[in-house]
This record gives sequence, C-alpha cells and structure tokens, in this order.
Amino acid sequence: MLETIKLSKTFKEKKVVDEINLFLDEGESVGLLGPNGAGKSTTISMISSLLKPTSGDVKLDGKSTIKDPSKIRKVLGVVPQEIALYEELSAYENLKFFGKIYKVKKDTLEDRIQEVLDMVGLQERQKELVKTFSGGMKRRVNIAAALLHDPEILILDEPTVGIDPQSRNHILETVRNLNVERGTTILYTSHYMEEVEQLCNRVYIMDHGKIIASGSKSELLSILSSEDTIQVQLSGQSDSLLDRIKSFTSVLQVDETNEGMRIISKKGSNILSELVHAAEKEDIQIVNFQVETPSLEDVFLHLTGKTLRD
Amino acid sequence: MYPVFMAQWLKDKRKPLFIILLIGLSILATVIFGGSRQNQSSSVTVFATGPNAEEMEQKWTALLNDSSDMEFVITDEEKAREQVREGKSDVAIRLMESDYRLITASDMPNIQFIEQQVHQVFTKEAQLEAAAGTENTMELRNEIEAYLDHPPVKVESQTLSGGELQEYNMGMQLLFGFTLFIVMFTIGFKVNGIAADKVSGVWNRLILSPVSKTGMYAGHLLYSFCAGFVQMLIVFLIFKYVMDYNIGSLPMILVIAAVYTLSTVSLAMLFAGIANTPEKFNMIYPSVISIIPVISGIYMPPGTISNPVLQFIADLFPLTYAVDAMMNVAIFDAGWSDITLSMALMLLIAVLYMGIGINMVERRKG
Repeated sequence: MLETIKLSKTFKEKKVVDEINLFLDEGESVGLLGPNGAGKSTTISMISSLLKPTSGDVKLDGKSTIKDPSKIRKVLGVVPQEIALYEELSAYENLKFFGKIYKVKKDTLEDRIQEVLDMVGLQERQKELVKTFSGGMKRRVNIAAALLHDPEILILDEPTVGIDPQSRNHILETVRNLNVERGTTILYTSHYMEEVEQLCNRVYIMDHGKIIASGSKSELLSILSSEDTIQVQLSGQSDSLLDRIKSFTSVLQVDETNEGMRIISKKGSNILSELVHAAEKEDIQIVNFQVETPSLEDVFLHLTGKTLRD
Repeated sequence: MYPVFMAQWLKDKRKPLFIILLIGLSILATVIFGGSRQNQSSSVTVFATGPNAEEMEQKWTALLNDSSDMEFVITDEEKAREQVREGKSDVAIRLMESDYRLITASDMPNIQFIEQQVHQVFTKEAQLEAAAGTENTMELRNEIEAYLDHPPVKVESQTLSGGELQEYNMGMQLLFGFTLFIVMFTIGFKVNGIAADKVSGVWNRLILSPVSKTGMYAGHLLYSFCAGFVQMLIVFLIFKYVMDYNIGSLPMILVIAAVYTLSTVSLAMLFAGIANTPEKFNMIYPSVISIIPVISGIYMPPGTISNPVLQFIADLFPLTYAVDAMMNVAIFDAGWSDITLSMALMLLIAVLYMGIGINMVERRKG
C-alpha cells in the first residue's frame, strides 16, 4: 500500500534520514521505533508530503507521491507531535474548522465530529476551550482532528509524549480500535517500547537516520535467541566486581543499573555460581537474581549499545 | 479560504478587548494630542518693553488680532520667555515701536507662518504711515478700507477643485496619523497568526488538507485586512458623526484607508518573512513601526523632516502617502486625480512587499 524507497534527507550536509526502505500493507499496524533524534519525525514528514526528500521515493499503491502529493493527502491522516490546534477555540470548534478544511460534507460533518469525539472520549467536554484541557486531553483532540476525514492511513508521531497514564491508555485503546475494528493502516512512531509492542504487528527500529532492524516482534526477538538477559540486584556497587563479571567467558555485556547490574550472557550458560563467587570476594551480597524474557528494549540495546531513552 | 477566515474571526470574537483597546487608543490619542496641538498653535504670546510698553502692546495686539485667525495674547516678558524656554509655546513676540522680534527655540514651519502674519501687519502699518506722511494715519486707513470694500480687481484663492482654500489643520493630521499608525499594530498582530500557525503545526494540517496554499494565505490576509479596515472605519465614523470633525469626503477617505490597509498587510507579511517565529515578529515589528510616524513627520507640521535619509526611509512605508492623501481630501478638497500618485505608491508597496514576504516565508519552511 505505502512504501518508501531509499528515502533520504540531508540538512546542511547532515544526513538526517539515510536511505530508508519501509512498507505498510493495508490494515497493518507498523511501529517506527527509535530514540529522540533518530530521524522518525523527518521520515514521517517526507512520507506525508510535508517535506521533500533529498533523494528516494514514497509510493502509494505503486505510484510516486513526490510530484503529485494530492493522492496521498486524501487518504492520509497525520497526528503531529505538537498540539496543532487553536487553543482559543473549543474542541468542537476546532473539529468543525478542520472538518471544513478537509471538505467533509456539510450534512455528515456534525455526525462525524460527534463520532470522533466519542472515539477519543471527549464528547462530554466538547464545548470547553482547548486551552483549559490537560495535556492528555489536548492530544486526544489532536488525534480526533486527524480522523475527521476518515483516513485510510493514520500516521501518529509520538502521540503520548508527556501525558498522564489515563490519557495514554485511552489513546492506545483508540489507535488499537481504529486498526482492529475499522481496518485503518497505522504507522506509529514512539520511543516508548511498550507502546509499540502493544500496538504493532511489525516494527522498524531506527537509529542515526537508518533502519537498523525490522520485522515482527518475534522476528526481532529472535535476534536475541542466542542470549540470556539477567537482572542482578546487589547489596552494593563495585567497579572491580563489574570488571570481574566482564571477564567471564560466557558474558557478552554488563551494564550497571540502579539496583545492581544487567548481564547479557550466552544462551544456557550457567553463570550463577561464578557470580556468587565473585560477589563473595568483593564482600557484596546478591539480593535477587532473575533471568528475563528478552524484550524489544533488549533488542534495541543489543543493536545500538544504548537504551531508547539515552 | 472561508474556514481559515472564520477561524480567525472566532478567535477574536472570544477576545475582542485587544481591538476595542486599539480603537479607544486611536480616539484618545487624537483627542489628547490633536486637541492640545490645536490650542497651542492658535495662541501666541506678545509683550513689549520700555516706558510706553502698554501703549505699544494695545496698538499692535489690536492690529494683529484684527488681521489673523490667531489669537495674540499680552503677557509679561518673563513669563513669555519662560514658556518658550520650557517648550510650552513655540514662539513669543517682542513688540517695538515700528518693529518686532521673534523669540523662539526652534525653526518650525508654524513659526514661519506666524512670522508671515506678523510681518504683513507691520509692513502694512509702515506703508500706511509712509503714505499718510504728516497727516492722520487713522483717516488714511479708513479711506483705504472703504475703497477696498469695492475694489476694481478682486483676487480670490481657490483649491484645484474650486473649493475654498483652508488653513492647514494639525489636529486633522494627528487624527489620520494616529488612526493609521495604531491600525498597523492590529494588522501586524493578525498577520503574525500565520507564523503562529506554522509553529503550532496547524499550518501543516492545512497543507495536508485540500485547501490550496493561496486559500490559506488569502484566509489569513483577508482577515487581517478586514480587522484593520473595520477598526479605521469605526474611528472615522466616530470622529465624523459623533465628534463632528470635518474629515472631507468619507468615501474617498475610506478608499485611501482600504489601499493603506492592503499595503500595511503586505508590510506585516514582509516582517513575518524576516522574523521566522511569532516571538521574533512580536519583538521586531512593534519596535520598527513605532518610529515610522516620527520619521514620516506625522506628529509635526509638513516640511519639518528635511533629512534626505529619513525621508527615504519614510518613503518605504505607506503611512506618509496615506496621511498625505487623506489630508489633501480633508483639507484641500482634493479629487481622485490629486491622490492618484499616493494611491499608486501604496499599491506598489503592497505588491512588492507581499511578494517578497510570502516568498521569504515559503523559503524558510525548508
């Protein structure tokens, strides 16, 4: 349905997006995951025709959208990262304005406004000014405005940044319903791993403007199939203990955490006895030891050597 | 275009205080400064010194007041000099037997006008005395005045359209000046809505919608035009019908106001192009336009600003042309052909600045 071919963007000799290839099939929910500054928003701006790529192409149903963006604009709904609303107007007035802008037919506009308000759970407060809303409520109206013309593809650019858990859950639920019940194709960008894990069938992981991994959740987790992630809670921290553990032949990576350390070791290697021995020598007690099921966060860590929020 | 226009209207409908405040400010500034200026220019202090000072004061004050619309008031020397020194009055006149001296701290055009009036009276009196010789001057004066009641040739000054020639009215200039100046703020802050929409992301939403770029700009700019024009219309109507000012042909004044509004919208668009964020616009635009009336000589009688650099800068802004055209209509009863040049220059500014402004805004988008 929608694909990018070697899509690149350079700002003042800095390559922000570097030959990205991605595709979205009809009805799919795809996540675009990456830390801040990875190039997610620039990619989205190019896909949605707001920004002209330096090179590469964006194709909708096999046809390039670069020269004639009108077709993609018709089927696309974009929820920007910023609150793109008139704060001096009420939620209803904002939606009416955007409905008119998107040329939603007069006789259906009213019903459509109520429908999208219901979707985001703000029907009761539609007459209130947006500036009086909480951050979460504003983001919900932000989503509603992108849904008015019933888009086939919905692109959401970090729609849950800086909001309360209740609004976050509501937004995630709305996106899930749009995808599952209405068959809307979703491209969801976030640096919250758990959101992407919950919502998306497939994930693209981006870092420094490049796609560094892609696939379904299980495909991505299989990257770590030869590794175990172990969380160790310790009674104290010690640099020499860290060095000792790093020297174990089966240990691939060790990172300090708030309560102890996180160890990535070869699958099936039993490092517990070695670990206890090393801790005893440093006079540190092991409070808790847990072999974790790997997550996408671990995949990201494995691929980039840093966490998503670094 | 229509929804963009209406959205701006809805925003302002919620917060009408800003425009009401600016309308009030236009009226208040004109009444305060225009009123005081009118009083200031119509009265001139005079004094004489020496043993027969009182006699000289009585004689010349009577003659001066007889021959001019200005009021010449006798004051003591100390007070007259102090008023000039403190800037409370532009000029004082020291009367002598058959001569006078102007006491002033500047060389303003209105002083030249007063000098001209006084000079006329003294010259006429000198001529009468010379003609009378040893005879009684008063008799000769009466004889001449009787003769002039039925003169063989009568010269009458008229405006180009045949109307009565009017005295320059500084109060009227301030009315137009303040109204046009304050409306620059209204228009500027409305045009800045484009930059605000760009920052908030609303502009991107509009780009993705079926609305054309032309429609997006037109909605914003038309609203800015209407806000500015309606503000001026209200002020002019209040002055004409409530405060009884004779502002000349209202339709002509409104046409000039419309062309001025258009060029000011373009000017604000140019500034929006230079300042790429609403915050920068809010810093740069008011700072620059605040000095425009001063450079354009709006607060001063015509001809006061003679520096060519300042004149050139003033010529880059539509304010001078608009005030000039409006004054011609209000005072000299000018017709369409008399204000064509001013209108054409304002339209030129409108086209140029709008083109450059939109181009800059679009380029900056990256």
